[in-house]
This record gives sequence, C-alpha cells and structure tokens, in this order.
Amino acid sequence: MSHFLDRLTFLQKYAGTFSNGHGEVTTESRAWEDAYRSRWATEKVVRSTHGANCTGSCSWKIYVKGGIVTWETQQTDYPRTRPDLPNHEPRGCSRGASYSWYLYSANRLKYPMARKRLIKLWRTAKAKHGDPVLAWKSIQDDPAQRREYQAVRGMGGFVRISWEEAEEIVAAANVHTVKTWGPDRVIGFSPIPAMSMVSYAAGSRYLSLIGGVCMSFYDWYCDLPPSSPQTWGEQTDVPESADWFNAGFIIMWGSNVPQTRTPDAHFMAEARYRGTKVVTVTPDYSEASKFADLWLHPKQGTDAALALAMGHVILSEWHAKDRGEYFVDYCRRYTDMPMLVLLAEQDGRLVADRQLRASDLADNAGQTNNPDWKTVAIDDASGEPYVPTGSIGFRWGEQGKWNLEGRDARTLESVTPRLSLVGDGATAQVTFPYFGDLAQPFFNPTALGQTMTRTVPVRSITLADGREAKVATVYDLMLANYGVERGFGDGAASYEAMAPYTPAWAGMVCGIPAKQIVTVAREFADNAEKTRGKSMVILGAALNHWYHSDMNYRGIINLLVMCGCIGQSGGGWAHYVGQEKLRPQSGWIPLAFATDWHRPPRQQNSTSFWYAHTDQWRYETVSVGEILSPTAPRKLSGALIDFNVRAERMGWLPSAPQLALNPLTVAADAAKAGQEVPAWLAGELSAGRITMSCEDPDHPVNWPRNLFVWRSNLLGSSGKGHEYFLKHLLGTQNGVQGKDLGEEGRAKPEEVAWHGEAPKGKLDLLVTLDFRMSTTCMYSDIVLPTATWYEKNDLNTSDMHPFIHPLTTAVDPAWESRSDWAIFKGICKRFSELSRGHLAVEKDVVLTPLMHDSPAELGQTHVVKEWRKGEVAPIPGKTMPGVTVVERDYPNTYARYTSLGPLLEKLGNNGKGMTWKTGDEVEFLRQLNGTVEVPGVETPLARIDSDIDACEVIMHLAPETNGHVAVKAWEALGKATGIDHTGLAKPKEHEAIRFRDIVAQPRKIISSPVWSGLESEEVCYNAGYTNIHELIPFRTLSGRQQLYQDHPWMLAFGEALCVYRPPIDLKAHQAMTGRAPNGNKEIALNFITPHQKWGIHSVYTDNLIMLTLSRGGPIVWISEVDAAEAGIEDNDWVEAFNLNGALCARAVVSQRVPKGMIMMYHAQEKIVNVPGSEITHARGGIHNSVTRAVIKPTHMIGGYAQQAYGFNYYGTIGTNRDEFVVVRKMANVAWLDGPRLTHQAADLKAAE
Amino acid sequence: MNRRFRILSALLHYPDEALRAALPEITEAIATSGFGDRHARALARLCRRLAAGELLDRQEAYSTLFDRGRSCSLNLFEHVHGDTRNRGPAMVALVEAYHAAGWAAPANELPDYLPLFLEFLAVAPEPLTRDLLTQAAPILDQLHARLAGRGTADARAYAGVIAAMLAEAGRAPEAPPAPAEEDDPEAIDRAWEDAPVTFGPENDPDKEGARSKVAAMIKRLRTLRASQPTR
Repeated sequence: MSHFLDRLTFLQKYAGTFSNGHGEVTTESRAWEDAYRSRWATEKVVRSTHGANCTGSCSWKIYVKGGIVTWETQQTDYPRTRPDLPNHEPRGCSRGASYSWYLYSANRLKYPMARKRLIKLWRTAKAKHGDPVLAWKSIQDDPAQRREYQAVRGMGGFVRISWEEAEEIVAAANVHTVKTWGPDRVIGFSPIPAMSMVSYAAGSRYLSLIGGVCMSFYDWYCDLPPSSPQTWGEQTDVPESADWFNAGFIIMWGSNVPQTRTPDAHFMAEARYRGTKVVTVTPDYSEASKFADLWLHPKQGTDAALALAMGHVILSEWHAKDRGEYFVDYCRRYTDMPMLVLLAEQDGRLVADRQLRASDLADNAGQTNNPDWKTVAIDDASGEPYVPTGSIGFRWGEQGKWNLEGRDARTLESVTPRLSLVGDGATAQVTFPYFGDLAQPFFNPTALGQTMTRTVPVRSITLADGREAKVATVYDLMLANYGVERGFGDGAASYEAMAPYTPAWAGMVCGIPAKQIVTVAREFADNAEKTRGKSMVILGAALNHWYHSDMNYRGIINLLVMCGCIGQSGGGWAHYVGQEKLRPQSGWIPLAFATDWHRPPRQQNSTSFWYAHTDQWRYETVSVGEILSPTAPRKLSGALIDFNVRAERMGWLPSAPQLALNPLTVAADAAKAGQEVPAWLAGELSAGRITMSCEDPDHPVNWPRNLFVWRSNLLGSSGKGHEYFLKHLLGTQNGVQGKDLGEEGRAKPEEVAWHGEAPKGKLDLLVTLDFRMSTTCMYSDIVLPTATWYEKNDLNTSDMHPFIHPLTTAVDPAWESRSDWAIFKGICKRFSELSRGHLAVEKDVVLTPLMHDSPAELGQTHVVKEWRKGEVAPIPGKTMPGVTVVERDYPNTYARYTSLGPLLEKLGNNGKGMTWKTGDEVEFLRQLNGTVEVPGVETPLARIDSDIDACEVIMHLAPETNGHVAVKAWEALGKATGIDHTGLAKPKEHEAIRFRDIVAQPRKIISSPVWSGLESEEVCYNAGYTNIHELIPFRTLSGRQQLYQDHPWMLAFGEALCVYRPPIDLKAHQAMTGRAPNGNKEIALNFITPHQKWGIHSVYTDNLIMLTLSRGGPIVWISEVDAAEAGIEDNDWVEAFNLNGALCARAVVSQRVPKGMIMMYHAQEKIVNVPGSEITHARGGIHNSVTRAVIKPTHMIGGYAQQAYGFNYYGTIGTNRDEFVVVRKMANVAWLDGPRLTHQAADLKAAE
Repeated sequence: MNRRFRILSALLHYPDEALRAALPEITEAIATSGFGDRHARALARLCRRLAAGELLDRQEAYSTLFDRGRSCSLNLFEHVHGDTRNRGPAMVALVEAYHAAGWAAPANELPDYLPLFLEFLAVAPEPLTRDLLTQAAPILDQLHARLAGRGTADARAYAGVIAAMLAEAGRAPEAPPAPAEEDDPEAIDRAWEDAPVTFGPENDPDKEGARSKVAAMIKRLRTLRASQPTR
C-alpha cells in the first residue's frame, strides 16, 4: 500500500525556517499588526497595463493582497504637460478596469491542453518509435491519422498534458516540418507588438531563428490605410491625442472616439471647451455624433464622394481664385503638385500617364545617378524644366541632396516651382475615368458616363529621344479631375450642377444636403488658412474597411494637403485604426526578428497568404474587369490571385512558403552546379525547373504545416472568411455555402494550378498560447496557458501619447501558466535538443521582396516586365525577389535565442533606411545583463535570459529610449539630407531609459528620425512635422506628399488621382435569398462591423462583467424600418447569412441605425451564448463567418519607391465592408447542448 | 486526519496516472472510513469508473466538466462572488484561515479550489471543519444539482462525491435537481433580461408611481438573486 491518502497533495505545514535557515517562523502573536491594516490595505501596488491589441496604452495600478490580485485602478502619475495644455491623465476605461476578472475566471486557461485524439495517436507513435520526430512523422505520413484529429477541431475533447509533453510535441512537429518541407512551412501569427513587445518577440525570435515565417497583422486587420504609404511613404504616423487640443477645426470622420478611444476622449471634450469646432461624419447616430456641432450622415461607403465635393469647394474658392497664399506656398514646397506628368495618346484620346523623369530629358537633365527616379518641375522664374532635389533618386547612390530645401539639383540654387501652367496659354483635352455610374442600385449610381474629358493647361517639351510630348502639372490635372471651372468652360458651372465632383453630385450619391457640404468645406479651409494648417481630420475604420478605402482616405488627405494641414501642430491626418506604434522599433527588431543572428528574416503579408491558403481565391466572385479603369491599357487580364502571383514572382510582395521545394536543399544543388546560389536559382526559376509555391497553393508541398497563434484570437475575431479557414486550412466542420469556381464552371486563374478537389486540413498542427479559452483555442490542437498582463514583465507604447511604460509581474503566473517568453524559450530548448540527428548547420535560401527604405525600392521603373514570361532577365533584388543564403545552426538555436548575437557589432543597427554603429550599446548590455558563451562565437555575448533582460535590450538599442543612439541616428539621416539634425536629440543625449525607470513612472520618449514627429516640450507629437519643419523628404517617388500615383497598375485601375469608387458587388447574398426558407421574411442588408465598448480589443468579448452591460451575447443592430419590414422585434434571435456562411445573434432594433445597414460589433466570441444556425446546422458563426477577403491589385505593387514592400507597411488588406447578408428572424433557436445530432454527424462524415 | 475528506479530495482531483494508481487504496479506504452505505457505494462506483477503460477518456470527461465554463466550476467563490470584486478579498480571507490553522496553500492553486478545500477540511480542527462545511453547503447543493442534470455518466459519478460531502454537512441533496442554467435558454433569458424602462410623465421620479416602480425593480432583483445564488 502506497499510503497515497496519508500524503497531502496541496497543503504543507506552515512553519519552520526560510532563507536557508536565516529566518525562522515563530508562533508569537502578531495580532497587534492588525491595527495597521484596514480592509482595503494591500500588500503591494504594481504598475502594469493591458497588453495586446488595445492601443490605449494606459498605465494601471494593480492591487495585490495575499498573493492575489484584488482589483485595479488608473495610474495618475504621467509626466506633466506644459502650461495651457491639459494633462494626459486619467487614462483607462471600463474594459481595462474589469481585466482582473480574467485572472481567476472560469474561462482562464490553467494547464497545457491538447486534443485527446492527437494525444492518443502521439503516445502510441512515441511508444513505437522512441524518437519524437519520427513519431510525429509517422502520424503525418498516415492520412487517416491526420484526419482523425483534424476533423474534430473546434468540437471540444481536450485533456490536460504536462509542459514536457507539450514542448516535445511542438518541437518534434517543428523539426519534422523544417526537415521535410522546409522552415518556411512553420508560420506564426501575433498582432500589434507595441502593446507587449517582449511577448511578441518571444515567438517571432524563435520563428526567425529557425527560418519560420512571421505573419503581418496591420494590413490583414484592414487597419493599414494603403493611402498612407502611397502618399507619404510612411506606414501610418499620426498626432498624439493631446494635439487635438491645438486644433481649430476637427472633423471626426468614421471614428467613434468616445467608444473606441475612450482614454483619449477627454482631449476632445477639452478641445471643445477651448472653442474648437467639431463636425462628425458617421452614417449612424454614434456616440461620436454627440460631440458634434454638426453631424453629417452619408450613406455608408460613399465618404469619398463627400470628401471630393469638399475638395471641389476648396479648390474652386481658394486655389482656382488665387486665394490663400499659405495654401499655394505649401503645395509648392511639400507636395508633388508642381511635378510634370506626361500625357499619352490612347485610342485617339489623351490620358494622364506617368510623372516625367530626368531620364526623359536630354542628357538625363545632368543627373548621372538614378535619373529614372528623379521627377521634374518647371522653374517659375525661367519657365524651364529642372530637377528639384529631394526625389527618391537622391536617396540612394549619392548624399546630401535628399532634402526639401527646394533647390535645382544641378545648380543647387533655390528655385520656385511653377504650380500651374494656366498662364502659359496651351491647353489639351484630357480624359479621366469616372466610376460613379457603376454603383449597385443601393449605392445611388449616376448616369454621367464612364469617362469625363476636361480642358487642361499643358506644355510641349522635347524628350531625350527627340519626340515632342505634352505635359501637365499634377496641380492642373487635379483641379480638372475635381471638375473645377478654371475659365475653360468645361468645369462645373455651379455647386448645383450634376457633374463630378460638385456638392450637388455628392448630395445625390451620399445623401447629404449640398449646402452643408459647402459650409463645412468653407469653414475647414477658412480655419486652416487663418491658423496655418490647424484643421484636423480624425478618421477611422468606418472608412478604412471598404474595398476602395484608398479613395475615402485620399479624398480626405487631399483636403488636408490642399489646405496645408499635414505636418502642422493641431492639424493633419489622425488615422486611429489598430495603429501599432512600437516606438523603440529599431531596438526591438534585432530581438524580435533575430537580426542579431541572421539577416534577413522571413516575413509575410497575411492577407495574400490567407487568401491563398484558406482557398478563398477558389470562390472569388469579383473579376478584374469589374474594377479596371475605362482608361486602362487593355492587356491586363487574369483573376485577382493571378495579380498576386505576378507580384510575388517579381519580388513586389513576399511569399510563404517560398519555393515548391525545401529551401534547405537549394544551396547544395547550386554548389553541385558550381554556381553562386542567387544566379543558379534565378536560372532554374527562369527555366521552370524550380517553381514558386504561389503558383500552386493547393499542392501538399506548398501547404503551411505548423501554425503558432499567440496574443491573438485569429479565428474568433479578424479572420476574414472564417468558414474558409475552417474548411480548408483546418479541415473541420464549417458553414461555407458557396461552390468554388470548378463546381460552378467559371473561369479559372491563369497563373495558378487548379486542383479539382480542394485540400481539407492543410495544417498539421495548430498551437495557440492564451490566458483564456478563446474561439481560436477551441480550434487548436495544443493550447498553452500563458501569463496574463498582470503576471509578466514587458513594454508598452502607443501613438496616442508619448510615453513608454511597462507591464510588470504583480503576481506569479497562476496555475501552470507561464509567460510567452518562458513558453517559447522552453519550446526553443526542446527544439534544439530534438533537432540533433535530424538537422545540423544548414544553409537556408531566403527570398526577400524589394524592400521599402532600401536601395531595392528602386526596382522596375515605369514598366512592368515579367521574367516568368521571358520579358526580362531574372535579376535577384531587381526583377525578382532578392536571394540570400542564411546559415542556421539548428542544434544551437536555444543558445542563440538567449544571447545577443554578433551581427549588431559587425553590421550595426538600422531603421527606415538609416544605419548606425551600435558597439557601445552591445558592450553596455554585456555588463548589464551578464555574458554567456555560445558555441561557434569567440567572444562572450550579452545574455537574454529573462523578460527583463529582453526589455533592456530593446530600450538600450533604440534611439527613442537611448539618447546616444538617437544622436547617431539623426547623424545618419543628416548624411542623406545634407542637413544637421542632431540638435533635435542633443539635449537628451545622455538619457538612457531602463526598465526600472519606467516601473517607477512612465517616461517620455526621445525624438528619433525613425518617426516623422518630434517629442519636445514645445509641440505635441504630430505626423509629418519633421518633413515640413526639418525639410526631410517624404519617402516617396517625388520626395513630396505624393498625390499622383503613376505606377502602371495604378493607371490601369484608374487611381492615379483620387476618384470616387462606389462599393463593389461581392455577389454573396443574392444566391442565398430564398434558398432555405424558414417561413420568416428575408431582407438584404449591408454588413458593417464597428468596434464596440463591451469587448473591444483589450478584453475581447467574453468578460461577463462587460457583457452584463450589454445583452450578454452576440447582437446585431438594425434600423426600425428594416426591422418592421422583416417582422423583427427588439431582442429577437435573427440569422444573417450569405454564400460565405451564417451567424446567429439577437437583434437590437434602434433609431441609431440607418435603413439598409446591419451592424455587428467586431469579435463577439462564438463560445458565449451562440445558438445553432438554421442554415449551416452548426453553431452560429462569428462576424467574419459572412465575410471573405477580396484583394486589390494596386496594393500588390512593389519595388516602386513608396510602393515597395515593408512588413505591415504595404500590401493587400483584408477589407470586409462591401459585404451584404440576408437577414431573417430565426424560427427555431437550438442550443446544440446534447451530444451532436445526427445531421451534424452526417455533415461531419461528408466533410471527411 | 479525517480520511473521508481526504478521499473526497482525491476523487475530485484531475484523474492523472497517480490517482489511477491509488484507486485500489482509495477503494479500500472508502469501505473503512465510515461513509454511509449509499455514499460508499456511489464512491466505489466512481472509483471503478475511473479505473476502467482509457485514462484519456476520463481526463477528457473531467476537462469538459470542470476545466471550462463556470456552471460546474470547482472554485467555490466562482459560485458565490462570481465576477464581482468581492471575490479577491474572499480568497484572501480563506488563505488567512488556512494560515491561522497552520497550513500554507500552494502558490499555483487558488484557495477556494474544492479538492484543496476538502484537503484542508481533512486536517482542520473539528469545529472549523463544521463551520466551513455549513457555509459551503448551499454551493455544494447547487453544484450537485448541476452535475446530476448534465446527463452524462461521468457527471453523475462526480455528483456522488458532492452528495457525500453534503452528507458530512448533515444535509441531503435537494431533489429534484434543477436544470443547469447554461442548458436552458429560457432560464438564461430570465436571468439576463431587464424590464424595459419607459420615459414619460408617468415615470417622473418625483411622482409616487415611479417610486413604486423602482421598488418593484428592487424586489424583482432580490427574488432573482434568491433564486440564482451564483449571481
């Protein structure tokens, strides 16, 4: 008998000594101490914050008593602002205040968990094979075993497992995948690192060391506005919320500040006290509407029409009338408006083509370096063309002329460029595309024709080849496109004229009275003129999630630029959508992507990846013909995915997986052939002996095999096309209702191999790290319990305020949970051990796109030639992806993970195209963190063992938190611009912020050239400030704010200038109407998914405290009119469905909502009070069950100055606002609580 | 040590290899520890169930019952304080009670975890055991009802442990078992629904009619609370 029952499992005697006998526990009464304890006394108060996705970045006090977190309150110790500016505090909202609930809630993940069926297979295989890698292989080699656990993903059936077993399975799967398929088949998804940088880096460092792929998030979430990189060469940079206070006029446009920027909303109230006028533009009567002096409510999706009409008014009343000297001066200096554009003959008409370059002129206009990449203007004094300094050609290959000093590059004299050629006399008829006629009936189509012809002032110039060509300025083309009457008689006769883009026209399209449009435009511009640019637009996801969001954004950007507001304190563009400002970015990148050990890392744009690998492309309903411009060259054909494949092959976008073979095998084959790897690979690709994975995403060789998800609820929130994920990537029960192109007999893509049967279950293993049982966890094979935001050390920054502050360990991770850093460190260690005998030092061939902020951004100039079609030679890094051989020491992965690698001292550190030496900082980290010996490296390296070690690495390497580095970075920039900028950081040169400093108090960061604003005591942070005030070029083709987009694909899709493009028809609801009637009336509504206040980012939607404030489960909002039509009453259960799937929710019938719209708040969990669907017979879905990602070719452009790839910087975006759903009242609400019903079992069988 | 509590603690633990190995010892101890006949039989049935078939199946059943959701949570305060801030102080008070009796709870488990609580009852002085057990009885009663209402063999088997615990408190489970609220949409609606508030002169707060409405709301909430002890 083992006396099991005589031993205690949990308790031990509370007595004895501690600290190796230095302390002793006594029994003497300490009751006297109670006098000092009140009920609310806590043992300690710890500073922390809320760590993933929420951009509020509020510092909090966490109260701990008896080792238990009892509650939290807002911190109020932010550094003070200057006189006459309100302080930042209080920051925080109800979502943050309820976070401590998660620590001990029944939803907390307490133990590592795994799918029982997988564990059963695993233990059997392990017993048989011994070697874990071979055990995993045996499971994967047997299709029946794979299906056995894949087919029940999402259906429960978890058991607890030990950390050792969890680490072993994950590591074995990774080793097997790297060895068999290639490291680029191991994928990781985690979003928004700024909110917990070390947690993000924990996984991305592991993946980057083994050659795995880190997936982007900002573009996938559709929070990235591609118009920002297009216009400024900047991912997104915005004013901090304090700068609202400095504005004279604010338009809150599709951004619900009090609801989604709660901690910042006080600045809006304070700005109103100061006298700022506020206009709110939202289709629904949202909370933001209540801030407004005037509330405009356009029909959703038509905002570009409103912006264009306001632009029409401002251009007509200021620019066309020579009113507003400030505006004109600003446009000359800081925009591409004076740049010349070639006009091209096309089918007997004249259309605007690309911007003129130095290389078009005789003798390259005196430019020997990059003449293809230097734009041309006309000298206002001499009337002659000249090449102004500052365009992208000056950024690379020469120094000192990349600036906005406005000089002639040849003479270095200051020159005033001519904005308009209207006085020169010559004119031409130019044809512009017009898309307003193509709208669906719901979006108010016009009948004005698909092109419009306008008189434009032009000039003839002689090109280098002797031809005469007509050119016009961007400025003149823009005014013509806006329909502004300039005395030629073909502009709009009045604001009442029904012509693009007059206020009357806009009133017809978006439903706002023309008078209101004129008033707002006038007041906006009037304020900007009087205050020199202090008019601001706060804009958000209501505009950004549309397929043609670029037009909504560019319409607004144009307003701000024509009024000189960008880069001015209190003015400009305030895009607050999932923005992730990781302020100490350059210090974080070496840690996060292991660039201290290997360069380059593998990074992938998620939208294109998920589109291909969840097979959403197989169901594409939008043809390219529907979105091409009537002025496009005819030769563009193919499906949307064809454009993406072309972009990948030309090195415009990244690929993952990269090649249809294991990249670890390439170097050896090249060596056998006696060639360098890049040249050999280019030859093999060109000959077709090796192909890229993107050409056949459904072939098993090209499947992603292992997926890590951490700090994210990929499948429960932003997974557009949720049901396609379930069907094809996971291979489990799903609600897809549509048929694919093959089943429907529609045209198939040109560039992609078609498999008659689509794959089901591409992923071998899905591992999720979380602290709560999220929807994603429910679908995972292995679930690892992670520390909450009060149980780990980390860093947090935001663009909403200028401070850096920490997450700290208030209590140890509860139950068996561990921090993300500890979890990935553990996996990494086991991986290193298991790799022995399977992997050694391997040569991994990495493909990299033509990266923004690197010389490769000068790719193909104004022509698109494909090596795959034999149109051009395959040149790595120019006409195809760059090719690099990276040596990975797999058995030493763990040693590398936990030390700061040698490349920082060897190659320096960099950021946004600047490079600086960082040896001093690395040496300091050796002293601070201690050193460690790593096999294969002679000198001892700085240790990165704990999460605090990792924090110190980030902060000491980054210019934003280390003044010495800031000065070095500004020096590096000064070499390119020829201007000394170091004065911006000198006053803080000796400041270096450490982890313990920010634990004591949030610290204001140091001004750095990595960002376009200043952190000073005189101005609030505002984007573009240093471009305007320090004359640093925007990182665009012209070096100015680029309002004319001249890439051939931009011209083809009609978006050279901002135009109105109505929402597209996704054709997902028509076929479902009446298909499976339940007796209730069906209506079609536009599906809108804003962010909520009961479960936005920081706490998701399963916190019962927050749910209690709403309706305790999934809800959709509909208008009273639509509800009456469909016979729906408030709180009825309704179902919304289309070809993509179905969702069930309660109806909130509200006057807030306009007719024709159904709103479902983002990310309502499938696991809280969701009944069964009458359409799919499975549990009703999430909001993304009725969406599907649809990609846009103009977002795939690469190697073209500002339109070059960068991680989360440019690429396709996951739009979802154009979707329509069929809505009806549910007849039968079933909870599916018993064992699975027969028809579900049948479904499952069919799925298998 | 009160072996009955120690046995109940062991049986409510996650069915791992160690527990399975100890099942013969536990089975023997059940017979000799002084449980009532009915309870001894039920506990022996659970032991047989835990010993039979694949351990993974028992683990899956345990995880499904206890690792997810709140209705059958083994954390006592989940049922009393739920999502309120009183839960933290309550846990602190319980830890202090353990300390006062000379025992330290482990750092990686909450003090109100039922197997831990049972283990403490096994070693705590008799009057304290009685007191704590009496306090916990209403929760145990409810937990028993929910387990019994789950309709699976595993849940019924675990309900036997709770019934034995109730017997220690001198109570019998209330019959018939109420349906678990998570399974009953009508009950969810009742629990979460607010009475509609209408605005107008008849609801002027200064008029008597309005006050009577407030009083009615309070009364309704009290009734609701009494019938739903978890909230």
